[in-house]
Amino acid sequence: MASSKSKTPQSISGFTVLPLTLPTLKSLPTSTPTTHYLYIRPHAPTHPTPTTDRSLFIANVPIDATESSIRTLFADQLGGSRVQTVEFDSSVPATPVVKRWKSETAPEKAKEVEENRGKKRKRESDEDVVAEGVLEDEKSMLPRTWDRELRRSGGTAVVVFVDQASCKGAMKEVEKKVKKGAEVRWVAEEGLGVQRYQTHQTLLFPALSLLHSSINAYLSSFNRTELARNRLRAKQRSVPDEDGFVTVVRGGRAGPARLEEAEMKKVELEERQKKKGAKEDFYRFQVREKRKEREGELRRQFEEDRRRVEEMRGRRGRLVPQS
Amino acid sequence: MRKEGVKEDNSSDGDGYMNEEELTGSDEDESEDDEDEDIATEGNNGKLAKKEKNAHSAPDAKTKRKRQDAMPQDGVYTAEVYKSNMFKLQLDELLEQVKPKYGKKEASAERAMRTLKTLIEQIPSRGPLSIPEAEKLFKSSKIAIPFPKPLPPKDAKYKLQFERPASVNATGSYPLKISTRTNEELVIDMVVTMPGSIFQEKDYLNYRYFYKRAFYLACIVDGLMSSKDHKFKISYDCLNGNYLQPIIIVRPSGDGSADDFSSAKCRIQILLAAPDKTFPDNKLRPNSNCVRPKVSEEESTKEKVSPTPFYNATVQSDSSVTAYLKLLHSSSSNCDSYKDACILGRVWLRQRGFSSRLRKGGFGNFEWAAMIALLLQSNHGAGPSPLSPGYSSYQLFKATLQFLANKDLLKTPYLFQASDVQAPKHDSAPFFFDGPRNLNILYKMTPWSYARLRHEAKLTVQMLGETGFDQFEPTFILKVDSPVLRYEAVVEIPVASLGFNPTSDEYDQSLIQTARKMYTTLARALTDRVTSISINLPAEKNWSVMSTRPQENGGNIVVSIACDPANANRAVDHGPAAENKKEAAAYRQFWGEKAELRRFKDGSILESVVWSAKDTKSPILEQIVSFILRRHFGSQVGDQMRVSGDSFAHMISSGRIAGQSGVVPFVPLMNAFAALEKDIRNLEGLPLQIRHFFAADPQLRYTSVNLPTSTVQSLMHTPASIVIQFEGSGRWPDDLSAIQRTKIAFLLKIGELLSTYRSTYTTRIGLENQSQPSQNQAYLEIILPSGPSFRLRIHHDREAALLERQLKDKSLDGISRESAALALAAYKRNYLRVPSHTQTVQTLCTRFPALSPSIRVTKKWFSSHLLSPHFAPEFIELLVIRTFLQPHPWPVPACATTGFLRTLAWISRWDWRHVPLIVDLGSSGPEGADSKANAMKSEEINKIRTRFEAWRKIDPALNRVVLFAATNNDVEGTTWTDGAKPEKVVAARMTALARASMNVLKQEEDRLASLLEGGAEGEKKQPAFVPDSLFISNLQDYDFLLHVSPDFARSNKRLPKSKFKNLEIQQSIQANNDVQSVAYDPVETYATELRAVYGDSILWFWDSESLDVIAGLWNPTMTGQRAWKIKAGWNSLPLVSSKNKKNRNEEEKAEIKLNKEATLNEIARLGSGLLERIEMK
Repeated sequence: MASSKSKTPQSISGFTVLPLTLPTLKSLPTSTPTTHYLYIRPHAPTHPTPTTDRSLFIANVPIDATESSIRTLFADQLGGSRVQTVEFDSSVPATPVVKRWKSETAPEKAKEVEENRGKKRKRESDEDVVAEGVLEDEKSMLPRTWDRELRRSGGTAVVVFVDQASCKGAMKEVEKKVKKGAEVRWVAEEGLGVQRYQTHQTLLFPALSLLHSSINAYLSSFNRTELARNRLRAKQRSVPDEDGFVTVVRGGRAGPARLEEAEMKKVELEERQKKKGAKEDFYRFQVREKRKEREGELRRQFEEDRRRVEEMRGRRGRLVPQS
Repeated sequence: MRKEGVKEDNSSDGDGYMNEEELTGSDEDESEDDEDEDIATEGNNGKLAKKEKNAHSAPDAKTKRKRQDAMPQDGVYTAEVYKSNMFKLQLDELLEQVKPKYGKKEASAERAMRTLKTLIEQIPSRGPLSIPEAEKLFKSSKIAIPFPKPLPPKDAKYKLQFERPASVNATGSYPLKISTRTNEELVIDMVVTMPGSIFQEKDYLNYRYFYKRAFYLACIVDGLMSSKDHKFKISYDCLNGNYLQPIIIVRPSGDGSADDFSSAKCRIQILLAAPDKTFPDNKLRPNSNCVRPKVSEEESTKEKVSPTPFYNATVQSDSSVTAYLKLLHSSSSNCDSYKDACILGRVWLRQRGFSSRLRKGGFGNFEWAAMIALLLQSNHGAGPSPLSPGYSSYQLFKATLQFLANKDLLKTPYLFQASDVQAPKHDSAPFFFDGPRNLNILYKMTPWSYARLRHEAKLTVQMLGETGFDQFEPTFILKVDSPVLRYEAVVEIPVASLGFNPTSDEYDQSLIQTARKMYTTLARALTDRVTSISINLPAEKNWSVMSTRPQENGGNIVVSIACDPANANRAVDHGPAAENKKEAAAYRQFWGEKAELRRFKDGSILESVVWSAKDTKSPILEQIVSFILRRHFGSQVGDQMRVSGDSFAHMISSGRIAGQSGVVPFVPLMNAFAALEKDIRNLEGLPLQIRHFFAADPQLRYTSVNLPTSTVQSLMHTPASIVIQFEGSGRWPDDLSAIQRTKIAFLLKIGELLSTYRSTYTTRIGLENQSQPSQNQAYLEIILPSGPSFRLRIHHDREAALLERQLKDKSLDGISRESAALALAAYKRNYLRVPSHTQTVQTLCTRFPALSPSIRVTKKWFSSHLLSPHFAPEFIELLVIRTFLQPHPWPVPACATTGFLRTLAWISRWDWRHVPLIVDLGSSGPEGADSKANAMKSEEINKIRTRFEAWRKIDPALNRVVLFAATNNDVEGTTWTDGAKPEKVVAARMTALARASMNVLKQEEDRLASLLEGGAEGEKKQPAFVPDSLFISNLQDYDFLLHVSPDFARSNKRLPKSKFKNLEIQQSIQANNDVQSVAYDPVETYATELRAVYGDSILWFWDSESLDVIAGLWNPTMTGQRAWKIKAGWNSLPLVSSKNKKNRNEEEKAEIKLNKEATLNEIARLGSGLLERIEMK
């Protein structure tokens, strides 16, 4: 790696390239330490949020990065700036998908929803936007099965510092380290590997009492949300949009139509149509047309088959018995 | 054109076969070779075109490429007579391919034939000479006279003689234009008709005809050899391996001279014929004797001499060569499609390894052609002819096969215009007597070759009777006679061990007789366990004209046996009842000490033979074959023979079919499943009744590689999935996430009730799919004290409707709808397809005993090559099921080996880019022809094809659906393979691996073939093939390997190494009886996590059975250098390329590449403790 280090650029497209020395491992012996590269710059999203000016944006996060490991990295090796939170763009296993309506349905909250997707959820603000289930809190959530999550390879993170000053300080410190070529080590948190999988195995099967209470909490919260959702739907039903149309939404009739009934009706309808009208082979022209159609079908089928055989020949060459 | 017309007239109004004219007539044109050729080809074309006119109304007779432009009407209206359009079109193409072109290449052979003809006609007359004189004659030229054994007596009174032949003609298939061009040499027959003047009336007796014939042949050889101007390679052979009929083989000299016909890739056979009616017909009838025993005259007249049908037929066949040429020629002019039907028959026979040669069955092209010709004519007094001249070539072909399949010519001979002829009583050849030509055309056949012919014919008729698929490939293209694919067991017996004297006169006969005895013995011993026994005798070679016929040295008899899956593994054979003294004695005599008297449940006391089903080393079939051959052919045979069968069964535990079915090892689990169902249905206090209780797991359909429960009492490692469905209720919430939580509440309730009902059951609730709240969230795990464990999930049918509504709901955002689509696919797969698939496979496995072990071996193959994470188990099962339900051209496999190998062969041929896998679950296999009702209709198949083609149009790069597998239950075809499972590269690897495996098998076939040839002693014996070699994966092909620490690899856990068996058992009980260890698979979890973390930047491979190594391949599109991108989606390494420095525009043109070292470091960190070492290439 030493030779490539000299070639490594210190910055790239406005990002400072911070090399991290990785720990040497028993299972992977290497002569020189291996290096991981972080790309860091001050956070500058298209839609700034209140925390933007005290955040750094990091690309190519190691897969075992966690909030606390990033915090330790800045605290111990990069000038001791204090990190408030770290928001990762991805996690393995992925954060639960919460189904929502398109932003048009609730435009005033669209931006917020977009921002919040994949992040920590804020229950208070958008409860009635969720299209399915409820936004879960600690109580109604099912017990977690992993003690820590992983990141997808090559993911990004936004590091929010406690204040603007520590953010700037951290960035400066990064640039300084890069210029000096000082070694920054990546200290992985303990608890990966076998231990993590063992914990997962025990977490997979939570205590029954825990499940009981979680489900009770969920169902009561669901009842509340459902009421709210019904209210929202009722409103949509009654309010015409700017063109004067009323959106047709669920819940207009007493209950969902039964599938069996619908099918019975369909059969009835077909029956009725069958009885109506003249028989199909009553007139001579009908017979003639039918025959013509059948012939056409045969011809079409033949053309189709011929095309297939032609294609087969094109693919495998000549048709010769195996020897 | 005029010339051509004249030519044609000549041939049609002459005596039918234009060869003489053509041969002599075109001599004049010899100076203008090219023109001559043109005439020949034009002539042919003209003829064909004329036919074409009748059949297809082709507009221009002159067009050389006739077929391609066939009018659509042709196909539209001929679909009926040709099975289907596809079949007809492929048939046309095949015919075009296999017919020799009669062009420039063949012209050189025709020239050589003219030369030969001239040479032969110039040979001077010789004799009459006595036998010693005749031998002296060739002393100087050192040519041997190919006298058949027994050699003629020196004091014979008759004289040998040579005179100018009556005629020299081309004969056989070549001039009739029914020969086929394949990879082998083309054979062109030339017949030299000896003049009648050299024979006497009684020459048919005691080989006299054959001695004269041999001398005549030697004279021809002498004449050809003495010619200074013309050089050919000449050797002797026997016509069809019949030692009575030596012939001359002429091969090109290869020196490029005018006579060299190497370019024609053919050999010319010079046959001898006697003129028609040389000998009286009645003397050569099958029932008469023509070889008088060497005893005094008086005795022989008193004793009744046994008939010599084979000898008689051989003499008769020599004197009816011309008669048959006439017959075939008239048939081809009377019946338009006769020629094509002959060609189809030739291809069919060739793919099944039949030939006219005695040792290859004695049913070849000539017999086929003659049979059709005779069946086209009506038999006096027996109603209309079996075939009609108006038939299409396909109809002729199929009807002839039907005739072969349905008529047992051994029991009821077919007499054509010969009501007075009787079949000899003790002859074992089938009887198809051609009265006008006084010949049983099947005289060369053996009982086993006839049985095999009928069997193959039956299979093909069945196959052609299927409506859904066209079956063209299995009928004509596939090589059916591959010993490893066709047969379940192969016995190799060195001829030397039989103890014949190779120099004795009777070597030929005794070999045949031994084979006959072997056949009857094996057939009697194996009874209905086998469907076909084929005995392959060592092949003869042609020999130099300078020597007498060489002795055969060594070689092997190879006996191939195909089993009946239902009976092959029966342990007890019942013999005659004890009271029936005579039969019982015969039975005892046959079985020796093996026979024992037993009393059976129904009270009968029978002689019987009992085999041990427990001896897992050798299956029952092998035991029987070894025993009976040793008993009846001596211990030398017993020691030197080699029996091999079901050679892949040991790859899996309990792979051999024990008893009547292959599902026995799964019975404990199935019983536990039934017990659990009963328990759960009996629970009181569930708010809803249980409507359905479905098994949904490979272990519950007999298809898991490892047996779920073992004899050592331990807990099952992987719980078997079950799906239950409650009765309908309106009280479920109308929301997916809430439904999932309600399900958990149900599971809690069931678990609670179950543990109070059966206190020995351990239950726990596990969580899953945490990222997808609308998919199933939890399952109930039930661990039985006896070992089995189950995973129970609840199916609620409202989910489908809700998910479909979400899919259509335009007010939902994209991510939500995508998630709904995923959930819907998972729902359909887990709750609808898997249970129904499980049910289907369950029934199929009980119906086909070999299915379960075949699937397990095939799965083992997939996982041994680290492919298991890429293929759904159901998909692999479908591949194997196809082999059983559409087994054509073979019968249903009877053991794991044939099931596996045929599946592999199919995979190696499968062009998955263009062809979907369609499994007709409704077809009941070839046996149950009665329940055709459920079989797929061709419309259904077409619908599936259309769907497949639509997928290929949507996704031509094969990014989402690579393999397509549909059944009648699942016409969508992507249930098991959607989402690039497997990916294109992996599917390609599957094909490559299957092809490599087939190559290994090809070597084994070559070895078997070389056994037949015997060859020189110095030749190294090829090592027999090791089945395990197909299961060893080459790890060189991967970029890096993660070696799993032995503590965690499953292969080690399964077989703890211990010196003492009892300790081992104790250990394993301790290790496995911990409930926590059930379903604990850190390595598998690790591997799946790696896949999630690295997405498509690394392709992962592992063997989920052994889990000792995880292999990775970098995605080649990412390992290269590429432009900087912030969210590359993989661990990158920034680079400054020299180009950028020059431009001084460093920032913008910065590049990155995959940081392999750091990635591997991450992988190692994540797997710390699990991995022993990481190997990088």
